[in-house]
Amino acid sequence: MPGASRHERAWVRGARAGRAADVEALFRHHWPLAYRAAYLVVHDAAAAEDIAQEAFLAALRALDRFDRRRPFGPWLHRIVVNRAIDWARARTLRAEISDDGTIERAAARERAGSGDSDARALAAGLAALSPEHRAVIVLRHLLEYTPGEIAELLELPRGTVNSRLRRGLDALREAVGEELI
Amino acid sequence: MRLRDLLRELPIPEQEEARRRSHAVVRAAFAEREPTPRRRHYLKPALALVAVAAVAAAAASPPGRAVLGSLRKTVAGEKRAAPELFSLPTGGRLLVSSSRGPWIVQANGSRRLLGTYREAAWSPHGKFVVASRADEVVAVTPKGDVHWTVPRPRVRFARWGGNRVDTRVAYLSGRRLHMVAGDGTGDVDLCGEPAAAPVAPEWRPPGLPHVLAYADAKGRVYVLDADRCSLMWRSARFAHPRALRWSDDGRRLLLVTRDELVVFGARARPLAVRPLRGVTDATFRPGSHELALVRGGEVLALSADRLGATPRRLFRVTGRIGQIAWSPNGRWLLVTWPAADQFLFVHGRRIRAVSGITRQFGGGGFPSLGGWCCSSQSG
Repeated sequence: MPGASRHERAWVRGARAGRAADVEALFRHHWPLAYRAAYLVVHDAAAAEDIAQEAFLAALRALDRFDRRRPFGPWLHRIVVNRAIDWARARTLRAEISDDGTIERAAARERAGSGDSDARALAAGLAALSPEHRAVIVLRHLLEYTPGEIAELLELPRGTVNSRLRRGLDALREAVGEELI
Repeated sequence: MRLRDLLRELPIPEQEEARRRSHAVVRAAFAEREPTPRRRHYLKPALALVAVAAVAAAAASPPGRAVLGSLRKTVAGEKRAAPELFSLPTGGRLLVSSSRGPWIVQANGSRRLLGTYREAAWSPHGKFVVASRADEVVAVTPKGDVHWTVPRPRVRFARWGGNRVDTRVAYLSGRRLHMVAGDGTGDVDLCGEPAAAPVAPEWRPPGLPHVLAYADAKGRVYVLDADRCSLMWRSARFAHPRALRWSDDGRRLLLVTRDELVVFGARARPLAVRPLRGVTDATFRPGSHELALVRGGEVLALSADRLGATPRRLFRVTGRIGQIAWSPNGRWLLVTWPAADQFLFVHGRRIRAVSGITRQFGGGGFPSLGGWCCSSQSG
């Protein structure tokens, strides 16, 4: 994980001291990706909003315990992705989404040559994966953590991360096509 | 790389709305958080010496003092801000003066621009508004119809007092204190009293007799029976007067100066004087002798009957607070916050924030408050 930038250290220091402008800066810098990561794991905009918001609030509440030398982003992403996995697992248990292959078929139908169609196909392909597989793909390819860093964030063995990445990408290729991956 | 780009560009429904909602929640939550006390760092002695010297050098300069001051500041008070003043949290009507003129805001949020006037204030029962132009005092109805006008040079600080049937308007024309009857007749230079300080004169509630308090250019407070032109009492000098306020039972008069608060009863000798530098606005809570005071970014509460007590901080914000006004029922305090372009309605721990105030009142500078008046228009 990269070290905290000078700006980010200053924002965290300012937030700890009670400066709203520094919280604003942290929010502006980190919320968009946190929200996107949550959405890509849970595939539910309202849930993603709750997760990103709650994660941000949890991070702010814990600022006093935060080691300022470390970057804020991975700390926030750890909270976001773990909460998103928990939420997606709970939803699966409640059977609120279809598990009869509808999503996969829809993804295949939506697959097209370019533009938004690619994005929709990818979204549908991701939705067909398990939350655990989605999480490692999001951490690796959206947030650009190394497998070692992902292992640390999710408290998993590195081998497990690598296998989830490999299987997740394989499944994604099958769903959306080789050319998109 | 292709996968990364797709993941970053994937459209997410209502992302901007979600960002705005989360932003408001995070800001509000942070505003309630107490700042972390600074940890002691046990630096190596040499490093510590260098740091102390640097901080001392920085702090010695005015900008340095400002920075150190801001570091100690706490953020509090601001809640999820509404984009428009959709309604008042309780009854009554607001008078707000912007660069376009005075506006009346009804309890349901509807706004009416009264005309191209400068300052404005309510009549005692909200039936009229007295406004001013550079060379004219104007009485207008809440619908904006002109009731009467009195041409006078350099008009400022027009204030309307009295009861439902017999009222007076006092104002400054240059440095002279004037009075005119509530129907716009009989304008006089009031009793030939000394030149006034740039402080709004204040009529003593609840109405009759017409008793007026004003501060002269030397900082003395005069309390006059205006109809008889008789001086009831005159105080000693208090330098740099800023504001006069009566409690609504007429038994306490507060003088705010640059450096202190002075509370008078029925006599020239103050009941209490308290050094308190930097108070810029003050108001009595309706039906009480409780004061709300604006000092920098803080609103403080203090009883006029126990002026020596430690002021209680109601809340504070970053930047400076503008003005304050109590709702007619004394339950909500309106605080203007120019730095954030917001009105804050405060009731205990509840805060309703409204943003974009300058835009809502026609642009230009941040508007000023003319008062939060009685809900009835019948009086």
